[in-house]
Amino acid sequence: MKFVSQIVPAAIFAALAFSVSSAAEIGQIKNTTGQVFLLRNNEQQPAKPGDTVEQADIIITGANGSFGMTLIDGTRLSAGPNSRIELKQFRFNPTTQEGESLTELHRGTLAIVSGQIAKRSPGAMKVQTPTTILGVRGTRFAVKVEE
Amino acid sequence: MISLRWLVLNTLAASLFVSGCTTVNTFVVLLPEDGGAASAVTVGDNSQSTVLDKPYSTAAVDTRGGIETKTITAEEANRMFTDALAAQPPQPISFTLYFESNSIEVTPSSQPMLEALFAEVAKRQAVEVQVTGHTDRVGSDADNDRLSLQRAEAVRTMLIQRGINSNFLRAVGRGEREPLIPTPDEQAEPRNRRVEVIVR
Repeated sequence: MKFVSQIVPAAIFAALAFSVSSAAEIGQIKNTTGQVFLLRNNEQQPAKPGDTVEQADIIITGANGSFGMTLIDGTRLSAGPNSRIELKQFRFNPTTQEGESLTELHRGTLAIVSGQIAKRSPGAMKVQTPTTILGVRGTRFAVKVEE
Repeated sequence: MISLRWLVLNTLAASLFVSGCTTVNTFVVLLPEDGGAASAVTVGDNSQSTVLDKPYSTAAVDTRGGIETKTITAEEANRMFTDALAAQPPQPISFTLYFESNSIEVTPSSQPMLEALFAEVAKRQAVEVQVTGHTDRVGSDADNDRLSLQRAEAVRTMLIQRGINSNFLRAVGRGEREPLIPTPDEQAEPRNRRVEVIVR
């Protein structure tokens, strides 16, 4: 019983912590150089490796900034200086590997290696810019937007 | 030569559009894959679109949605995207570790793979590790669920001992549900007594 009484609160805490983070988390910042900011709910904070990202987050790099991140479907995104990237929509079912995503590059440079969403349903991953939209069948490409 | 060609194109564009102020806004380049497999990206919508399906093929989209395609060199692509490409995180990598029968001990033959896992985890920034334990079909479902989780937890514990942040380590047990090698129930199969680890 002693074993149970110690384990149960820990298990509940773990379950809560997991459900809170897993509900919103769609990826993670892996590396940053120079100035990189995460804009969430109109609040801007410096981004650092290990930060989790959520749908609707915007990541901004300064004149000497760059960052790399992974999304939970295995997609890898990385951006160079003076970039603004918005994770507009992201839905992924890890069991069926099915989902869809829309990422907007407002300005700057973005390199992408697509993951399971594009692999499972070619075209389900989309990248938008101010003048066009890309449908991703796979897998490595780069986009540049000049204002 | 290039500047002359651009001058001609710009003059042409200016004569085609009264305002003459279309400028390239979006530039897309398809890059070769590590494995060399097929790859493609569509650019544009229903009214005007193109498909990039050759390495280093590019599309320049102007502010009116007009698309111009050409092919550039690897050097030009690398120069244009130097910083973004340098920041690209490494590819996720997976490891399979085998276990002794009815045990949470990694087999001697899997020790080098275990060392390779530790080395890979140590060199990645903000590493995330997903650990999934499995069993063969000997024993009850409930026992195998427990054993598979214990195997995953054993690997997780070794990673925590090596300084990996436990927040980024997930361990689950799948029991005998997902055999690598399908077998009849109650058949011993060393290749199914395993833990699969994805490092991201």
